[in-house]
Amino acid sequence: MSGFDVAFGWAWLIPTLTAVAFVIVGVGGRRMARLEWGGWVAVAFSFAAMVVGILVAIGEMLAPGSYTDSSVTWISIPGSPGTFPNGVQLDIGILVDPISALMLLVVTVVGFLVLLYSIEYMHHDSGLARYYAELSLFLTAMTGLVLSDNLLEFFLFWELVGVCSYFLIGFYYEKPSAASAAKEAFLVTRVGDVLFLLGIFIYFAVYATSGSAPGWAAGGFKFTNGSAPFLAGAMGGNTPLLTVAGLMMLGGAAGKSAQFPLHVWLPDAMEGPTTVSALIHAATMVAAGVYLLAVVSLFLGFTPTDQLAIVAVGGFTTFFAATMAVVNPDIKRVIAYSTISQLGYMVFAVGAGFTMVGLYHLFTHAFFKALLFLAAGSVIHAVGTQDLFKMGGLRKTMPLTAAAFAIGALSLSGFPGSSGFFSKDDILGSVYATLGTHPQYWPFFLLALLTVFLTAYYIFRAWFLAFGGDGPRDATLPHAHEPGWTMRLPLVVLSALAIGAGALVFDPAFASLLPGIGVPPTFRGADLALSAVSVGLVACGFGLAYSFWGGGRVFELSESTWAARVRALLLHRYYFKAGYDWIGLRATYTVARAADFVERYVIDGTVRGFERLFAGLSDGLRRVQTGVVSDYAAYVVGGLVGFLLLLVFLAPWLLQTVGGG
Amino acid sequence: MLPVLSILLATLLASTLLTFLSGRWARYVALAGSVVFLVEVLLLLASFTQWAGFGAGGVPQYNDPETYPWISISWLTVNYAVGIDGISLVLVLLTAFLLVATVVYSWREEKEPALWFGLVLLTCLGCYGVFVALDILLFFLFWEAVLIPMFFLIGYWGGPRRRYAALKFFVYTHVASIVMLVSLLAVAFYSGAASFDFTSLYGPARALGATTQVFLFLGLFFGFGVKFPIVPFHTWLPDAHVEAPTGGSVLLAGLLLKLGAYGLIRWAVELLPTGLGHLAPLLYAVAIASIVWGSVVALAQRDLKRLVAYSSINHMGIVLLAIAVGSSLGVTAAVLLMFAHGIVSALLFMVSGSVHHTFGTRDINAIGGITPRTPALSTLVMVGSLASLGLPALISFPAEFGALLAAWDRISYWVLLPLLILVVTAAFYMWLMQRMLFGPPKGIPANVHEPPSFELAAMSILAALIVLYGVVPSLLVQVIVNSPIQGWP
Repeated sequence: MSGFDVAFGWAWLIPTLTAVAFVIVGVGGRRMARLEWGGWVAVAFSFAAMVVGILVAIGEMLAPGSYTDSSVTWISIPGSPGTFPNGVQLDIGILVDPISALMLLVVTVVGFLVLLYSIEYMHHDSGLARYYAELSLFLTAMTGLVLSDNLLEFFLFWELVGVCSYFLIGFYYEKPSAASAAKEAFLVTRVGDVLFLLGIFIYFAVYATSGSAPGWAAGGFKFTNGSAPFLAGAMGGNTPLLTVAGLMMLGGAAGKSAQFPLHVWLPDAMEGPTTVSALIHAATMVAAGVYLLAVVSLFLGFTPTDQLAIVAVGGFTTFFAATMAVVNPDIKRVIAYSTISQLGYMVFAVGAGFTMVGLYHLFTHAFFKALLFLAAGSVIHAVGTQDLFKMGGLRKTMPLTAAAFAIGALSLSGFPGSSGFFSKDDILGSVYATLGTHPQYWPFFLLALLTVFLTAYYIFRAWFLAFGGDGPRDATLPHAHEPGWTMRLPLVVLSALAIGAGALVFDPAFASLLPGIGVPPTFRGADLALSAVSVGLVACGFGLAYSFWGGGRVFELSESTWAARVRALLLHRYYFKAGYDWIGLRATYTVARAADFVERYVIDGTVRGFERLFAGLSDGLRRVQTGVVSDYAAYVVGGLVGFLLLLVFLAPWLLQTVGGG
Repeated sequence: MLPVLSILLATLLASTLLTFLSGRWARYVALAGSVVFLVEVLLLLASFTQWAGFGAGGVPQYNDPETYPWISISWLTVNYAVGIDGISLVLVLLTAFLLVATVVYSWREEKEPALWFGLVLLTCLGCYGVFVALDILLFFLFWEAVLIPMFFLIGYWGGPRRRYAALKFFVYTHVASIVMLVSLLAVAFYSGAASFDFTSLYGPARALGATTQVFLFLGLFFGFGVKFPIVPFHTWLPDAHVEAPTGGSVLLAGLLLKLGAYGLIRWAVELLPTGLGHLAPLLYAVAIASIVWGSVVALAQRDLKRLVAYSSINHMGIVLLAIAVGSSLGVTAAVLLMFAHGIVSALLFMVSGSVHHTFGTRDINAIGGITPRTPALSTLVMVGSLASLGLPALISFPAEFGALLAAWDRISYWVLLPLLILVVTAAFYMWLMQRMLFGPPKGIPANVHEPPSFELAAMSILAALIVLYGVVPSLLVQVIVNSPIQGWP
């Protein structure tokens, strides 16, 4: 027993603190923004939230594997004999367990660093009260999601982080592209959300209709009540239903974590401020899909069919997104594609049954990817463009930023000893070990392995283009300089985490946040060969990037070659964006217009036809149609009163006579 | 015991009469009357801890019951019979909220203010009566009493084509009313009950044979369905809304559409459960058709009011779907969604009215980027849109979740249709916000400022309710389930 056990019960403070910041900044923000207090209020509250988050994680480490679950009833509806015999009880609760403690650590640490960074980065923007209020609300929703103790609550916060993301992508709402990207992000993830909802319905229905569900009647639908064996048992021979539910969870996760084929929104989400990209679209919200799959795999269970589908989606997305990063000229979009690709690795790992390994990569990725975004933000802040081909030589004027980006790049590509190396090799090694029993994973494993090469290539291409060479390729760029301390401090802290966070799992206490992960298999000897292969691929990718782009070189493709055609295909994002725009905008709108036509001229047209018919029949009554509303009203009232009188007095008499009593 | 429900009725009646007579002071009288009514309803809500339960023979009892003989002949009794349960109480609460909000919103009505405020009160009086009446004739009296003031509100204060719209509204709903009345009387006569009283009809009506129940249910479904409105009998709604003044639209969408749904629950589903059982597939089909059609047609609309009107058809389709399920979960969700839609559509119609006053148009494509100029109005547009598309922590979400969960239990994968339509609903609201609120400024007159404070106040009240009941839906759910729902299949 120690004082930290107390901290364990403080988790509810985290969303509360950021919610208070949301209210203070949101309500009083207009006045505060002018004095620049709004930002500091948000920073201060997120710092407090981070302290609590760290204490909760320490509390969890001191009592490995423990959890606390407390909840209140949100809605309770009594049962019907026919459906939901035990009634429907929906709870809002807080579940602190190892993995939610780990996620809290990620969300609060990155959240605080990003808010601190924003003080300088967003300094020149207007609408800052809105910005800090929305980011605080996001932190509330995200920590609420992490602490959810049942699927409905999870969905509730899932939607709230989605709407915060919507508003923050559209932060520069005067820009049509930003407004459009915000809408696109919301709608594409919404497709996943409705599938997620159907999955929830299935789990609920199975729980509710099997009267013996553990804890259903007493405590509603909680993760801690559920157990994968129970669900499989309750379904009996009905595993197809469980498979469908699992696939629906995959659908939801694919929307949120931008997995194929719902990946299109994330690159466009780069319309938001870079800080938002770092926090929401790299480190936390987009990882919520992976977290969902992890939670479902732990508490509800996937069938083998589900697992294969998840492995396929994750493995394919890993490679598919990386190819698009290879050619992109926009520094933020390169990192965005990289995020999709890395999320693919996590989905791949969770699907293959290595939930903790997937979460391990989520943990390391949050830091090095946030670092890459914030370093890119530092560059954008200094030179005012996102076009890599205009930049160049920035390592001379911005040495700290160049070093930070390099550290992020090394960690992302899996340079031995960095965070990304441990977690990525853990994924590859773990899945490799199962290939004997699951040969169907082979193609996706190979894609994931090949992506190691692409990753090293595209991220160092970006580094060489931005920081290599003698000076900017576009001479009109302003003279770059390093940012102030509020931006530098987060870069330094995240650099340290990008190097060291991966090694934390060697500490058994920390590893208890990822129960059962063990020491990374990279060091179990058998996988040394695989590690050598992957490090070799990193070296090849780096070498190729250097030979094409190093030292200020710009690699030119002649236009007629097949390679140029491939590049055009990649720059057009395999035409997915165009295709979805066609379906989403052109086709749907055409259907809607056609429906509107039918509405006006067929359905209502029939009605008007009847009107004209009756108007003709009532020609004799034309004299009463004076066109004065009060006259009509008099008829209406008179008719009605007459009718009622008739009803009240005449009808009973008539009935009495006819019915004969 | 105090005749509570009659006191409430008397409050509305007295306020209506005083308002008609008070000339230029009408708005003050109307506000005082509606606030008194709201306070009384809140007191009633606070005292409503336990529903009266089932009486002898499984007949549901009602709280604060009052029965006075009205017409009595040898074999037939018509009573003034009123009473409430959780379902009607929640809808009475909705009536009180919308009455106050409408009076506040139209504070500066200059065209015949005494008449305007009096008719607004009269409309709410009729709705209140429908929700508490427990006798066929009394129910019908109030039902028709709603139509007259609404006819005037549209026909006198409405837009350019108000006469056409008012008549269309009246003809549609009146034809439906007659079918409804005939069906209700048929229920009474076929069951051979000695009175038109709901409680005395209850047992005999439920004992009717399957064929009789099916035919009677069909009649009632048509009668109540036009009011919902259900596809294809819905075209009166967009016309009525477009021409109606803002206050008229608020009452029309917020309250009048609920009358049909309430009537279906109380007078059809409760009395004729076997009929519902046989006709459920038809109701599912009509409901899904309304859900799909309302949402898809809304996507093509350029007039803000028409868009909200079609979105109402979509939401009332979900209400119908949940009623058709008939389980305790389904009907609870349906009533919750009726309340939610009442508040949300009221806010959206007020927003449409304010946009119209402020920018001189409701054409979504004609104005753009209004957020920097009218941040408060834009925020209210966002709250209304997000609530209507079912964002959690706002009022519609728990209701739609419950409705579709209940539907999954009966129609299995067909529930994917309404689920996927949720994406279309999100799409037209998102597209609306993109065009009207965001982007570069477009079509904004030079001297634009925020809507007047009373309009903002009315809309803020509704927005606050949307958040309050969205975060704590059990405030309503606890009341709703305190009703015969407890005994449902």
